[in-house]
Amino acid sequence: MTLTGFIAKNALRNKRRLVLSVTSVAVSLFLLVALQVALRELTNPINDEGSSLRIIVRNKVSLAQPLPARQLQVLERIPGIAAITPFTFYGGLYKGDEKFTSFAQFAVDPARTLPLITDAKVPREQLEAWLADRTSCIVGKMTAERYGLKIGDRMQFTSQLYPADLEFKIVGIYEGTADDRNVFFHHKYLDESLGNPGTVGTWWVRAASIEEAPLVTARINQAFANSSAEVRAESERAFVLGFVSMWGNIQNLISGISVVVVFALLLVTVSTMSMAIRERFRELAILKAIGFRRRELFAFILAESFGLALLGGVLGVGGAYFLCNSLDIQKLSNGLFLLFEVTPRMVGFGFSVAALLGVLAAAAPMITVARTSVVEGLKTLD
Amino acid sequence: MFVRFMAAEAEEPIVQIRELFKVYQQGEINVTALNGISLDIARGEFLTLMGPSGSGKSTLLHIIAGVDRPSSGSCHVQGIDVTALNESELADWRNHNVGFVFQTFNLIPVLTAYENVELPLLLTRLSSGERRRQVQTALELVGLADRQHHLPRQLSGGQEQRVAIARALVTDPSLIVADEPTGNLDSHSAQDVLTILQSLSRSAGKTVIMVTHDPKAAAYGSRSVHLEKGELSN
Ligand SMILES: Nc1ncnc2c1ncn2[C@@H]1O[C@H](COP(=O)(O)OP(=O)(O)O)[C@@H](O)[C@H]1O
Ligand SMILES: [Mg+2]
Repeated sequence: MTLTGFIAKNALRNKRRLVLSVTSVAVSLFLLVALQVALRELTNPINDEGSSLRIIVRNKVSLAQPLPARQLQVLERIPGIAAITPFTFYGGLYKGDEKFTSFAQFAVDPARTLPLITDAKVPREQLEAWLADRTSCIVGKMTAERYGLKIGDRMQFTSQLYPADLEFKIVGIYEGTADDRNVFFHHKYLDESLGNPGTVGTWWVRAASIEEAPLVTARINQAFANSSAEVRAESERAFVLGFVSMWGNIQNLISGISVVVVFALLLVTVSTMSMAIRERFRELAILKAIGFRRRELFAFILAESFGLALLGGVLGVGGAYFLCNSLDIQKLSNGLFLLFEVTPRMVGFGFSVAALLGVLAAAAPMITVARTSVVEGLKTLD
Repeated sequence: MFVRFMAAEAEEPIVQIRELFKVYQQGEINVTALNGISLDIARGEFLTLMGPSGSGKSTLLHIIAGVDRPSSGSCHVQGIDVTALNESELADWRNHNVGFVFQTFNLIPVLTAYENVELPLLLTRLSSGERRRQVQTALELVGLADRQHHLPRQLSGGQEQRVAIARALVTDPSLIVADEPTGNLDSHSAQDVLTILQSLSRSAGKTVIMVTHDPKAAAYGSRSVHLEKGELSN
């Protein structure tokens, strides 16, 4: 027998308790990692690099209020702006979808849009075809794949925002952006269908440099101050966050739940370990009597507690990893979630929590063992 | 004969206890468990400690074995003042010099007889071959070589106690202490245990100190001392 063997035998002595406590650690860590995955999913678009250059200009009153198209002349004179296009959320329901279409459609000025979507990879001739045809559109690769769309196909939409049902011809498929799902089409086409109302939903602006982006935002806000259509310009990052402002709450909620999970987990492991050690109090006294030192008993307790927590970690974090990286979450969630992956950082986080748990759960029994003399230990159960 | 007697006389006692006091403070009241004990124990003796319950037998045994400390006084074992060692030194000292046998719940329930006996050797630098040899020898000495793979619950009380003796022996300590080792045994098993302890002192030269309140058990010893309210009574 080795010391390791001795530790293992001790840990395995109450199999039901071992299974229950390892399972509770595993389930909690699974939950914890799953929450981290969800959190990353929610915050991901905000961390996109290109989006810090891009600015969204919307009506100060609300996002639903349109902006006058004539603002373009003013905007074009503002220094620090590299590109600008009308950018109107069409809110279409794709033909065949019941209640909800998982990708957005934006009316833009194609020629002006190209500098704004530099990260999108589209073949030259497809871009040219898009610029040339007023009723054409380009589609993100993910949407194209999901619906089995190819160049030359037509897409029909019923708008939930505008009295204009449109049909586009697909002339290009792009990929390489943070979210390869959207459809971009000609603003003119939308304008015509609505009888040229002279309005746009928002303006989409690209600042010349990241340093200048905040200045540009301020200048735009100032340019329309006290006008009939005051605007609010904000970085795409801020815009996305504001657009789904409730996600901010969800973030807090997720962080809150994570803390609660860790805390509950701590209570479970601490009580399990305390119970396991209390049962063995007399045995520990006997071990002391036959010459085991305090630090050796500490090592036993720590190893057992650590082993238990780590085993739970392997099952929980490993389970989350396996599940998230093998399931096609994108399909299962109707394209709502894109990444849903367990990053090495989350694995590290999960195991750190497990390790911390192991140490903390060992602390209380270690203190008790240190405080109890052989004689006191022998008296228990006598 | 005379020369041998002289030689024995000249040899230092293995245990020398001087003016040992142990006082427990219980709130306002002081409980004196040991009240100025002085005692010499010779090498190879089988000393039995007798006395009524609460007379301080266990306390004295614990101090000699280095698991408890006196309030004052000294206790030298093989010339070493055990009351002066620190915790870690004491643990090491116990591992090398003392074998313990307790009244009940002596063994680790998840370990086999063999593994229980091997336990103290895990703290030594012995090779696994040497360990095996020593465990085997100890188990043979208590007549349980054929039960080495049994778990404690598969053994009778007497057998458990013999395994405990084997564990006490395995590091080859000079001192074996036993606190009422037959207290929970039937008379037949008790006899086995006592015979083993006796032969340890007689033929293996171990010094055995045993607490008991059974005069029949005490008869196996070579000398008996009586404790009464923390004092030696004869
Ligand atoms: N931890 C303690 N606190 C207070 N009193 C104690 C403690 N341990 C032992 N005693 C007292 O010391 C005396 C001797 O105890 P002990 O050596 O166990 O007696 P014995 O083994 O002879 O029955 C008893 O009166 C007992 O109540
Ligand atoms: Mg006693």
